Amino acid sequence: MKQSDPIFRLDGVTRRYGNLTALDSIDFTAEDNSYISLLGPSGSGKTSLLRVIAGFEAPDSGRIWFQGRDITDLPAHERGIGFVFQNFALFPHLTIFENVAFGLRNGAINPPEAEIIQRVKETIEMVGLTGLEDRNPDQISGGQKQRVALARSLVMQPKLVLLDEPLGALDANLRERMQTELRTIRERLDVTFLHVTGSETEALAMGDKVAVLDSGRIVQFGTPEEIYDAPIISDVALFLNRFNLFDGTLKDGVFHGAFGSVPVSGARANETDVYAIRYDRTQIFDTGSTDLPGPALPARYLASEYLGSSIVFLFETEDNKTVEVDHHLSLGEPRDLEVGRDYVLSWSPEQAIVFGKELAR
Amino acid sequence: MSAAGTNTKKTHSFQLLAPGVVWMILFLVAPIMMIVYVSFWTQTTFAINSTLTLDSWRNFFASEAYVGALWTTIRLWLIVLTLTFIVGYPAALYVGLLVKSKTVSTVLLVLCVIPFWTSFLIRVLAWRPMLGKEGAINIILQKIGLIDTPIEVLLFSELSVIIGMTQIYVVFMVGPIAFMLGRIDRNIIEAARDLGAGFGRIFWKIIFPLSLPGVVVGAIFVSVMVLGEFATSGALSGRKVNLLGNIIVTQVGSLKWAMASVVGVILTILLGIVVAGFLRIVDLKREI
Repeated sequence: MKQSDPIFRLDGVTRRYGNLTALDSIDFTAEDNSYISLLGPSGSGKTSLLRVIAGFEAPDSGRIWFQGRDITDLPAHERGIGFVFQNFALFPHLTIFENVAFGLRNGAINPPEAEIIQRVKETIEMVGLTGLEDRNPDQISGGQKQRVALARSLVMQPKLVLLDEPLGALDANLRERMQTELRTIRERLDVTFLHVTGSETEALAMGDKVAVLDSGRIVQFGTPEEIYDAPIISDVALFLNRFNLFDGTLKDGVFHGAFGSVPVSGARANETDVYAIRYDRTQIFDTGSTDLPGPALPARYLASEYLGSSIVFLFETEDNKTVEVDHHLSLGEPRDLEVGRDYVLSWSPEQAIVFGKELAR
Repeated sequence: MSAAGTNTKKTHSFQLLAPGVVWMILFLVAPIMMIVYVSFWTQTTFAINSTLTLDSWRNFFASEAYVGALWTTIRLWLIVLTLTFIVGYPAALYVGLLVKSKTVSTVLLVLCVIPFWTSFLIRVLAWRPMLGKEGAINIILQKIGLIDTPIEVLLFSELSVIIGMTQIYVVFMVGPIAFMLGRIDRNIIEAARDLGAGFGRIFWKIIFPLSLPGVVVGAIFVSVMVLGEFATSGALSGRKVNLLGNIIVTQVGSLKWAMASVVGVILTILLGIVVAGFLRIVDLKREI
């Protein structure tokens, strides 16, 4: 199969719970042998989507295609799609070895015992758990449980593995290590990972492609760079947590906001008029400066957060809106700021992204 | 920690344990030792004295009626235990696992317990108008024309004792099993489905093993109560079925303390073996 062949396809998939529409007519095509992050805030329907693909729930309408076959009416245990649960869901009464062997022993394929032992051993080795085969799930750590859950799915050699916030239950250190490992393991195996997460950094770091889900719809699907640099609607920009977003009005190619009126060269279709500038594109100037690169936004300095490689400065505007400025330390030492004093924030207008009802050209 | 510290700690735990230990010695250990002792006393028709003898024990094992009662007890216990399991497990499966709403499953469990709001004897006696020759079941079967003459074996037989005991004790099987099933993480079952296991496989490899501690606790409850039973067999068998419990009642009634003690000791040993056997199946300490 070529990289570009679709591994699975969703065709108008809709799922409702009573009055609530969890999935709203989703069309989606995933490439084979890729790592796809599915990013969405809680309640956006991302877990529902995974459960529908896995077959734990049936869609109210729409079809699901997997490896060129319509699997909408196929029960979960006949789909051959791996699923890694957020809480790992290991079988508590079975050893690590038997947990991993479960699918081979109890599934449809039923290979001979020698093959089971060999495949289980190889998979356990691949996820780095050799030596723990005879332990019980309550005798291993969270990160190890995560690996068992992954091995349990991978031993079945699925073409698609769904991961439901797989790193959510791990601490920060472990999360970063598992991020790299998940990617390495996937690349070795010719398998597609669909990784659901609520964390924008995780989604951007891990996915070859990122799909952003909001209120039961996939609002944007693209490479992490595309999502990061060019969010398609203001909700995506908001969710990425990298943009200062200003409400205002866009009229005749001019955006009127808290920072005055700025002519804009283009705008993306959106339900409201929003002006977005990235945290790290926003610059700090003294009140009264004349060499501003663009609009002037007066703001009071509140506090800073040291993040290691950068510092985030928090400002408050006159209408009580918090504005963040991200200063990367590789660009030099940040300037000294006095808490409570007024400064002016500015940026080059061409780096702003404008969303509007009116499509200015 | 110093030796003095350890000693204080020990003294404290002894003080905390003391009331319980005293209570158990006074009302459990002492009476059991007493019964064992009395079982070796010499019994004459109208009197008993503390000269030690094996006569009562010999009489028990020489009498066909007594040994027969032992076997009847064991047989009825196994039948009732099996039936409470067969009837109780599916009910527990429904209440504990298949019902999605916690409220509904609590309501269903309470419904199971409601019969216990009436007295034990009334629950047993209520089976008489159900099972009797002119009882509800026979009347209904005759009315719809399934039978011409009433089924007499329904009441005052071993069958009626089995039916009565199963009905009374099944809830003690349902409760612990439903509790264990309710604790199973639903994701585990979905994970098994995702790995390709069908319903049968999931039940035998995941659900049943995980509910086993509940089965064992339920089986211990039912066993302890059925093995010591005398009221149900007394009320529903028409004195035809004699269990060890019935023998104790009649022996005590005729002041045959030594023989009653022998039966009591045998029953206690039997219970001990049964409970110990069940506890070997699962390690209950892991579940607490």
